[in-house]
Amino acid sequence: MKTGRQKIGKAILWVILIAVAVIQLFPLIWLIDFSLGSSNEMFTSGLLIIPEKIRWDNYVKAFVDGNFLLYLKNSVLINTLAVVLVVIISIMAGYACRRMRWKLNNFVKTVLLLGMMIPIHATLLPNYKIYHSIGVIDTIWALLIPYVAFSLPQGLFLMTGFIESIPMELEEAAVMDGCGIYRIVFQIVTPLLKPSIATVAIMTFLNNWNEFIMASTYLSSPTWKTLPFSVLEFTGEYSSNYAVQFAVMALTAAPAVIVYIILNKHITKGVAMGAVKG
Amino acid sequence: MKKLYSNKWVIFTLVLPGVLVFLFAILAPICLSVYYGFTDYTGMSEENFIGLDNYVQLFHDSAFGRSLLNSLLLAIGFICIQHPLAIIVAAVLDKLQGKAEGIFRCIYFIPNVISVAVIAYLWKFIYNPDFGLLNNVLKIFGFEGQVNWLSQQNAIWSVLIVLIWHGFGWGMLIYYTGIKNIDPVLYEAASIDGAGWWTTFYRITLPLMKPVIQINVTMAIISALKQMETVYLLTNGGPANSTQFAANYLYQQAFKAFKYGYGNAIGVIFIIICVAVTVLLNTVFRDKQEA
Repeated sequence: MKTGRQKIGKAILWVILIAVAVIQLFPLIWLIDFSLGSSNEMFTSGLLIIPEKIRWDNYVKAFVDGNFLLYLKNSVLINTLAVVLVVIISIMAGYACRRMRWKLNNFVKTVLLLGMMIPIHATLLPNYKIYHSIGVIDTIWALLIPYVAFSLPQGLFLMTGFIESIPMELEEAAVMDGCGIYRIVFQIVTPLLKPSIATVAIMTFLNNWNEFIMASTYLSSPTWKTLPFSVLEFTGEYSSNYAVQFAVMALTAAPAVIVYIILNKHITKGVAMGAVKG
Repeated sequence: MKKLYSNKWVIFTLVLPGVLVFLFAILAPICLSVYYGFTDYTGMSEENFIGLDNYVQLFHDSAFGRSLLNSLLLAIGFICIQHPLAIIVAAVLDKLQGKAEGIFRCIYFIPNVISVAVIAYLWKFIYNPDFGLLNNVLKIFGFEGQVNWLSQQNAIWSVLIVLIWHGFGWGMLIYYTGIKNIDPVLYEAASIDGAGWWTTFYRITLPLMKPVIQINVTMAIISALKQMETVYLLTNGGPANSTQFAANYLYQQAFKAFKYGYGNAIGVIFIIICVAVTVLLNTVFRDKQEA
């Protein structure tokens, strides 16, 4: 009797898990399937199509006309710079607020953390005006500054937590040896923060990689445009060729999905650490 | 040692970059928004100071009211549909051992790493009345007739479905981590006492997950308030503002309707609402935890 009930219970578990997996994944399978056919084949009443001929040329069009390489390069460059800056600035500020002795340490930390509450989109209008007047519109700075600014509070929050947990004795020994603060921060504390740096880097990357509303507000020429623009610009150009539009969407999604699948354990751990603490 | 750690110059240089970024990218724009919120600036001509007119107008603006209502609907959708599902799936996933656990966890999170631009356009196609996936799925279950998913009546529900679908993996992962942190000894004790799956879930998992649930609920409400990008691409607030959200509305007013001053007034109120809700939720949950 009991084994029978257990079997049914197990079956229900599997049904739930598979049903949710299908719901989460099927739209993406549909996307890839249609991207390999021709536009005419889409008007079917079935769920998926078996393309008469696999049309890789959809992807060639998407790759070339979607400016894929340029936008991918921009995305990688801007996001990497943003991650590096967020990590360095949050270690410095986190160390100063947690370890150094001064009156305003808690006040400064609270103020910097306030940024977490401010909705990014409310700053779009005034920032557009500011960037225009100082001439950074359409430059890499127009993206770097807000990307760093809005990831910094979370980075700082995580870093201060981790810095606190480092034993003071290590630093004391370094001070005895005549080490200055800068060397303590960058040569002794930073290497110990490796896991937290990974968490902050992953969170910053996830925050900014797919961002496009700031990019489309502050940029006008293709020089610094990021990956989402491949999709945004394409729909106008190929408005009737749906299959190519599907190809460009699949292509744009691919880098992040591939990296995620390869690094999935680390990313999952990073998100879990970051989100539960943040 | 003490002297080294209270060296003002060193402290100053360490916090300077962070403070500069905050002043320049967060505080300065907010101040500028407050200023423009009191003007009738269009984006081109000279601005005139018009006092509180924008705020009076905003108070009577039904589209802004609709935006807040939609945020509320979205928050309810997150809390009543996405989160219970996420908790249950996380609990079920925790029971699996071995490779399958990792594979499912990986699958559930995939939509989260895909750009909002792709997600929004993909769902536009899924909702397409001619060859969209959703109508074809309905046909298989025997429903005829082409449903217009993005009509004025249906659009807000269609938008909610996309957002609940897209954010599911994130919520699930956090609950999953919370469940993994529960001491397995408790489960062993429960099973020795003969507790079934449901009793264990209800008596052990849920109560111990309370702090995680509180964090997740807080984040869900705030992200419902801040929602913009998916809506911007999927419906742009339409038809007739039925899917409007505050962030999208202020953007439209400033850059499409050329009411830059009014857009900034919306921005100021929007910031105040977000800060107030965050503070409120934190105090409510903190009091509860202490009680």
